[in-house]
Amino acid sequence: MATAEVSNKKTLKVQRFKPSDNPTNTYLTDEKGIWAWMTTVDHKKIGIMYLVSVAIFFAVGGALALLLRTELLTPAKTFIEADAYNQLFTLHGAIMVFFVLVPSIPAALGNFIMPMQLGAKDVAFPKLNLASFYIYVAGAIFTFIALAQNGLDTGWTFYTPYSTQSTTSVIWVTMGVFILGFSSILTGTNFITTIHKMRAPGITWGKLPLNVWALYATSIIQVLATPVLAITVLLLTMEKWLGFGIFDPAIGGDPVLFQHFFWFYSHPAVYIMIVPGFGIISEVISTFSKKTVFGYWAIALSSLAIAFIGFLVWGHHMFTSGQSAVATTVFSFLTFLVGIPTGIKIFNWIATLYKGSIKMDTPMIYVFIFLFLFSIGGFTGIMLGALSVDIHLHDTYYVVAHFHYVMMGGTLIALLAGLHFWWPKMTGKLYNERLAKIASVFIFVGFNVTFLPQFVMGAQGMPRRYYNYVDQFTAFHQTSTIGSYLLGVGFLIILYYLMHSLFKGAKSPANPWGSRGLEWQATSPPDFHNFDHTPVVINGPYDYHKPMEEFQLGLAVDQNGHDPESTKQIVDEERDSWKNYSLG
Amino acid sequence: MSEHNHEHHVSSAGQLWAIGIALTILTIITVGLSYVEIPAPFDVITALTIAFGKAFLVCAFFMNLYWDTKFNSMLLIGAFAFFILMVAITLLDTLYRNDIVPSF
Amino acid sequence: MSKHSQAHPAHLQHHFVDSDQQFDAAKMGMWVFIVNEILFFGGLFCAYIVFRAWYPDLFTQAATELNTVWGAINTLVLIGSSLTVAMAIRSAQKNQTKGLKINLLITIALACVFLLIKYFEYSHKLHIGIWPGVENYTYEGIDHPLAHVFFSIYYVMTGIHAIHIIVGIGLMIWIYIRAKRNEFGSEYYTPVEMVGLYWHLVDVIWIFLFPLLYLIE
Repeated sequence: MATAEVSNKKTLKVQRFKPSDNPTNTYLTDEKGIWAWMTTVDHKKIGIMYLVSVAIFFAVGGALALLLRTELLTPAKTFIEADAYNQLFTLHGAIMVFFVLVPSIPAALGNFIMPMQLGAKDVAFPKLNLASFYIYVAGAIFTFIALAQNGLDTGWTFYTPYSTQSTTSVIWVTMGVFILGFSSILTGTNFITTIHKMRAPGITWGKLPLNVWALYATSIIQVLATPVLAITVLLLTMEKWLGFGIFDPAIGGDPVLFQHFFWFYSHPAVYIMIVPGFGIISEVISTFSKKTVFGYWAIALSSLAIAFIGFLVWGHHMFTSGQSAVATTVFSFLTFLVGIPTGIKIFNWIATLYKGSIKMDTPMIYVFIFLFLFSIGGFTGIMLGALSVDIHLHDTYYVVAHFHYVMMGGTLIALLAGLHFWWPKMTGKLYNERLAKIASVFIFVGFNVTFLPQFVMGAQGMPRRYYNYVDQFTAFHQTSTIGSYLLGVGFLIILYYLMHSLFKGAKSPANPWGSRGLEWQATSPPDFHNFDHTPVVINGPYDYHKPMEEFQLGLAVDQNGHDPESTKQIVDEERDSWKNYSLG
Repeated sequence: MSEHNHEHHVSSAGQLWAIGIALTILTIITVGLSYVEIPAPFDVITALTIAFGKAFLVCAFFMNLYWDTKFNSMLLIGAFAFFILMVAITLLDTLYRNDIVPSF
Repeated sequence: MSKHSQAHPAHLQHHFVDSDQQFDAAKMGMWVFIVNEILFFGGLFCAYIVFRAWYPDLFTQAATELNTVWGAINTLVLIGSSLTVAMAIRSAQKNQTKGLKINLLITIALACVFLLIKYFEYSHKLHIGIWPGVENYTYEGIDHPLAHVFFSIYYVMTGIHAIHIIVGIGLMIWIYIRAKRNEFGSEYYTPVEMVGLYWHLVDVIWIFLFPLLYLIE
């Protein structure tokens, strides 16, 4: 019943809503058919559409990677021409960065899960959400038109003056990236507003799941950084088309200025890629340790710290570009700073494991893989941040190994962890656990066999993006290539058992992992509106010492004299987080 | 459903016109000052100060930030802060290309 | 499921609890979008600042080709349009549909005046050979090898701004049509407020563009 506000406390009548293990109506059955999917404003369906798109682009980008690695089996030409090789690595990078890594976790998993973790029915702007998806598709179409025309051979970084001179389809791709940027911006806008305004009663900022904190920090980065990318590609287009003279030194411009503009977005972009991954790790590690995450506020606020400091370090991509000495020094110092909040997270996660009740199911296996691979990636990033070291390592395979360890060993592994964790929630099906574990072994072994040798050969001087190489690197390259095939096998296994689970998988109960997360207190798959009640949250998101019933509370329904089961007091820490409700 | 928890601020026509006139006057001032010989960099500083004054009036009283939740003002100020950071750090490079140690 | 004693207002979307939450969410979303726009134009201002710091003489010389009077008139036109759009929101808040429509029309008219003046400015420049980019720039009147760079910056900054004006006009026409259908009143005027915020942003950007481009002497 409606309540009067007494100082800062609100009293709401609540009752328990146990999610059914056999839902009859779900979001999958309520809206059926292709047209319903294509015009849906349901965040869950939009998340699935993103997931499918990301998977397809990952397959394309991955195939390109395998082609590249196969070509690198021998020092000279193996089966691809040099010009084609340039196009392959450019497209591999552009597709993986823009169409897989940046949207993957926020737009796919974030879209599906975050509103449920907030106890909301949808994001703040559902139609904008659908628009974001179609803008993403439009950006992809532009980019693939470029493929059909003259391709792209500038590297995914489009450095001037080569990008202004190249006869490949630079403008199609820059326009594709321009359009795609708006998808990212609109998703960020949607998420920020949702997290501020759409929380269920009881979810104060101190009770937000860390996944939501991570998505919040990511959205801030998306909104602040992506417009600068948009301007950069716009100016590059004008430079190429009309000869502006801003970036091209032949007509008065400065190529290093292009790099400043480009990396002002692209460095925060890597935090867009990894910070949501951090959020997933917090969710999975707590569920499979049956323990609260150690240092909640440290992890929550470190996401914001990374978002902020991440904007100040872009010049570490430009140490050898000719920028001023004072700038390089400042950037190097700030780069060391940005490792600190990330390090805090790693320590806190490990502390979470201590005295936990660890269950090594597939999502948890990927968490461990993440901790191992991402730590290597993070350390090597700090090494690259040291000026004197970077002079030697810049543009070598050391850098290539570093960013694959953080982006693939980090973001992609976290995505796999999240995918396996939330697969039963999204599909209502369980996958084959044994095959999943086998695949994870292929992924882990394959990844290290591919990329560990690259650190060594980079330190020995093997340049990146090179088609030819001297004979001393042959063994490294061949090992790396074998690793890439192992990786490919791992992903094929994953694709197989996930597809199999969709059609023939065992049915999942509502909460197979026993998680305390709010999204798990709904059916699997969820109802069209996520919950058939208004959830009320009284505990912290990882209070595993509290009984499950306390996580399944919702506003009491007053029908025909039914009495609610219990009455609990809710502390109102922030006025705007919910409104008075009047029922009946 | 629920009642309105807070009233939306409605400016009076007089208030809005006052802001409009203030903006006009500031425009005239800034144009006038541009014809006066002011040594650099103070000419830019003056022009930008007046521009900030005008922008403040528009944001606070036309866009109603003055009566809005503080968070929206924080968004605006935060955006501007990041813009300043972008410019300042870029200038750390572009202005000091030839100085090994910038002359303080 | 809860039953409501009063019917859902037509404008209330199903995922919101009440009109206030919907309005506040819309406003916050709009401000986040404005953050994005600030960084978008910010990139252009950054390019401006970098080049002006490098080539101050280029800027002082080249800016003489920009007509201060027409720029000032355009500034006043936009300020006026900000005033009228604020009055339009006020009319909506007070259930004055007629006032809303009139103020919207005046705002649209002033916006068109702005574009008209810009059209004359641009066509004059193109006529004397000041084109964006070195490929087509033929004007001899500025004794500086990088004159085309200044004007490229000028064209891209004012051009993107003009595109925002055009979009704004489109949005206001749409709001006008909805106002004609009596969709707005004191209970619900969110789209009017949102378009108003957008329009004020466009005004604020010009407030900075004007002195930085036109008033360099």
